[in-house]
Amino acid sequence: MLLQSRLQIQSLLILLALSLSFISCKVQLVAPYDDGMVQQIETTAKEIDRFYLIMLEVTPEEENGRAYATFQEQYINFEVELNSLLTKNKVKPVNEHSARICEITLQLWRKYKAEHKEQDYLSDGEIKLNRKTFDDLFFAMLSAEKGKQIANNPPE
Amino acid sequence: MTNLQTNDPIFDINEVLAQMLGTVKDTVTDNWEEVKSVANEFLNRRKERLELLAELTLTGDLPIEKLKSRLEDEKLVFEAELHAIAIISKAIAQKAANAALDVLYNAIKKIFEIKL
Repeated sequence: MLLQSRLQIQSLLILLALSLSFISCKVQLVAPYDDGMVQQIETTAKEIDRFYLIMLEVTPEEENGRAYATFQEQYINFEVELNSLLTKNKVKPVNEHSARICEITLQLWRKYKAEHKEQDYLSDGEIKLNRKTFDDLFFAMLSAEKGKQIANNPPE
Repeated sequence: MTNLQTNDPIFDINEVLAQMLGTVKDTVTDNWEEVKSVANEFLNRRKERLELLAELTLTGDLPIEKLKSRLEDEKLVFEAELHAIAIISKAIAQKAANAALDVLYNAIKKIFEIKL
């Protein structure tokens, strides 16, 4: 009887030890919060906002003041920045949602760049729409990244 | 070492499960406002974009074929917003799951402390 009890206790302890090692692993559904990523998103968002505001306020609609060539270099620089954000997001595990937000942003950036190149002109209305669209996409990107902080906060 | 009786209430699974459930509920409730405020902000921003689209179409600044193309883009922006909400929801779920596992972990740790 005593031996049986000891065997039961031993089995229970082994089971508990196994459970302990199992539950010391944490559940991970989202990638960890990345402050560097937030900084990069904020900087890129601000620079793209500046890009469209300058285009709207400084360059004239008339006399081909908004020719694509005037902005080509900036378009390339921002595409490089968006590509960099996409790559950084793609290499992180459990980060497919953030990567997709970046993919969509890059897709629309390329689309609006191609439209500007094809027309060699952008109206005030198109600039306002582009500016608003990217502002909202960067807001989604930032909300997602900052949302990851919730998971990192230790349980109360 | 404390003497161990086999009929001791070593581990009350019902109590631990109730505590785990309570922890999950508290974590989700505490963070739900975050999802709501972000979703509301997305809705406001959508409204502003659609108002701008309507205004530019009415003034003739945006031809109909371009409006169609912009409405297609709206689907992508909406998708991006849904992905952001998915991340926040998953982050809350992760926090809740880990908090519940901590309850279980502590309950098991207590057994070691009491019985060994």
